Amino acid sequence: MLLECRHLGYQYPLSTESVFKDISLKMDTPGFHALFGPSGVGKTSFAKLLTGDITGYTGEILKKENAVFLYTYNQERLPGWSSIGRHLEKVTPPGMTELCGELVETFGMAPFMGQKFSQLSLGQQNRINLIRYLLQKFDLLVMDESLANVDERSKENIIFKIKERFPDKYFLYISHNLMEVSKFSDMILVLLKAGKLPQTSLIKGLNIQRNDAINSHKLDAVLLGIMNAC
Amino acid sequence: MLVRRISQFFIVYGAGIGFLLALKSILGLSDYVIPGPLDIWSTSLAVANGYLYDVLNTLGVAMVGQLLSIIMAFSIGTAARKSSWLGSFIKAAAYNIQAYPIVAVAPIIFILLGDGFASRLIIAAMICYFPLLLSVVSIMSEPITDIEHFYLATGRMRWQLEIKIRAFENIRKLTTVISGSATLAMAGTIVAEFIAANAGIGHAIRIALYQSDLSRILAALFLIGIFLSLYQGTLEWVGEKIIKKWVIVDQEELP
Amino acid sequence: MKKNIMRRLFILFISCTVFAVSMVSPCLAKEGLNYRLKWLFNASVTGDILAEDQNLFANEGLDVTVKAGGPERDAIRELEMGYAAFGVASADQVIRARAKGAPVVVIAQLFQINPLQWICKTSKPAINTVKDLRGRTVGITYGGNDETIMKTLLTRAGIKENELTLSSVRYDYTPFYMNKIEVWPVYKNAQGIIIGEKLRKQGEDIRFFNPAEHGVQFVANSVVTSEKMMREHPDTVARFKKALLKGWQMAMDPANQDLALTILQKYDKNTPRDLQEKQLISTRELVWPDRTVEIGRMDVTAWQQTEQIMLEQGVIKSGVKIEEALMIP
Repeated sequence: MLLECRHLGYQYPLSTESVFKDISLKMDTPGFHALFGPSGVGKTSFAKLLTGDITGYTGEILKKENAVFLYTYNQERLPGWSSIGRHLEKVTPPGMTELCGELVETFGMAPFMGQKFSQLSLGQQNRINLIRYLLQKFDLLVMDESLANVDERSKENIIFKIKERFPDKYFLYISHNLMEVSKFSDMILVLLKAGKLPQTSLIKGLNIQRNDAINSHKLDAVLLGIMNAC
Repeated sequence: MLVRRISQFFIVYGAGIGFLLALKSILGLSDYVIPGPLDIWSTSLAVANGYLYDVLNTLGVAMVGQLLSIIMAFSIGTAARKSSWLGSFIKAAAYNIQAYPIVAVAPIIFILLGDGFASRLIIAAMICYFPLLLSVVSIMSEPITDIEHFYLATGRMRWQLEIKIRAFENIRKLTTVISGSATLAMAGTIVAEFIAANAGIGHAIRIALYQSDLSRILAALFLIGIFLSLYQGTLEWVGEKIIKKWVIVDQEELP
Repeated sequence: MKKNIMRRLFILFISCTVFAVSMVSPCLAKEGLNYRLKWLFNASVTGDILAEDQNLFANEGLDVTVKAGGPERDAIRELEMGYAAFGVASADQVIRARAKGAPVVVIAQLFQINPLQWICKTSKPAINTVKDLRGRTVGITYGGNDETIMKTLLTRAGIKENELTLSSVRYDYTPFYMNKIEVWPVYKNAQGIIIGEKLRKQGEDIRFFNPAEHGVQFVANSVVTSEKMMREHPDTVARFKKALLKGWQMAMDPANQDLALTILQKYDKNTPRDLQEKQLISTRELVWPDRTVEIGRMDVTAWQQTEQIMLEQGVIKSGVKIEEALMIP
């Protein structure tokens, strides 16, 4: 088991209202999972609590010993003083060069490696940011809107690649895109506003792999399940 | 930009002279109070060589003083960027000392160190140091979360990288504050020379004041303005070059 | 766009001029007459402040305010701008101003002997002649009248400037105390007394080198007014002069020493009374050296010599006929 939350609660600093109350869950299956919910419900805060980027919660968060949790979000930037290729070289751990090349190719970033970060489009920026995280040592990677501004076809390609290349890792994909979350995720954690009981629901996604055909009935069921949960 | 700066100076200087001459004419003042154009011209020619040497002397001290203050400001500013007691102490000290008029401290420096190069240098450095320090401290204390997050999360952050990120992201602010401090350095050096030095254009102005010679003062002001414009314009040009080289911006942002 | 900017600049220019002109108000307004001194209140102005304190101006029907001078104050400029009706200036200031067309005239010469002399320690070799300055370190205020005086002494004695060391001085006497500069310019009756006392407490003594004893007469502080004042209000000038010289007469009279010191203490609180007493005695010797001659007498020869010295030293380009500016009744 990688992660278990017991009776997790959290309030924003200087606020009297709880964002989360009494959330309990387990993550014990690697794969591409999702965190879904309405805007402002606290998805990012929840993810940051899991990765340790924010503290001050009540309850318990139990992690597997020496597990590495990383959090990445769509507004991250690379330093602007040299090309993205040069930066990527510097942050690629030894032995990961081949993987780096693969990811760069798959993510469609090969033609842009000589450019600086500010010269890229938003979608390209998000992609290069994600690449550098994928090259690091991690057990869980939280991807908070990390594929925002990426076209659907590329997004699909990227997610399939992640699933193929990192089968034993955990991913928690935060997105507002109901269809995307339903199609690609294994488990979908639906987070609702504090006050709603239960505040979380776990829905099984389609978790399609490359070349899988999409069963529309099953997809509808997942969509319905999520909407009912909300 | 340099040409524009110098032409702006000429306009301001010319307007100033014009204003003085208009005042002289309207009030019927003698050459003793406001000299006539011929007197200004002939005096300027007479003192040009000497004052040119003096103003270059002063500019030299100002440049070295500014460089010294930049080095000190960056060293102490980067050390003070953490929210430790040292950082807070340095910030508070810088704010308080900056409020103190350097002209009050200058005579003490001259008594202790004499009226040579060292005293002028210290005063020039002190005058532009504190505003620089506060800018550097403020820049270095502000994390650039969007960039630093990756390095912090993956354990790759080092203090050198942190400083590099913050300096780079604020390079425009830094180049602006550095070129702005050139005026401070020059003003500080001139004030120091005026108080008690034995060289430089401030010393020359003091002599001219003793002699109530406004023509000499105007000649000195002209040279100060020209060289200061050149110096500041050069610093701005260098700043722009650095930004263009290291920071590729959208085409719309290029001047 | 350009026309707009030019129009705005022109309006700004006119506004500044009007503002500046409006600041210049004639000092003959009902609020009274300003009398601007050359320096701060000290023993050198005892007569001036006594005249004010003892209502001597009021007795002549004048409302006079005596204002302290300072390093950046110029009484002659204030006369011309209308900020003062009367002032105190040294002869070199008057001559320089006349050379530039300033309409200034002299109504009284306060110091008959120039207080500007050089102080040196008795532990150092005596300076009996100008030639004894060879090889010495001599302080001068560049731009000041002591520079002119010293250079005249050296020129007339045939001493080149590289035969001694001329060093720039300011208001800090540390280099003199530390023997870095052996000969230091002072006002004998003011700083000279203070420095002398300080050194005597440390077991040292001082002597003075007086340029006048070596043939260089340079007139010192004198009372000035504008030509306009003289022309349009001669009666006011006469009454002012009468009251002022009466004040000086009273101040310099040994019988009024206590009164003079009391008034001096009121205006100059920073100097101890015992030092002020010595300063007052010294001032008396410089202002009233010959008791048979009235205070304020103008020494035309000394003035002409001063003009000549300034001409020799290139301080003025041509003669000004200074005697024409001396209002001798």
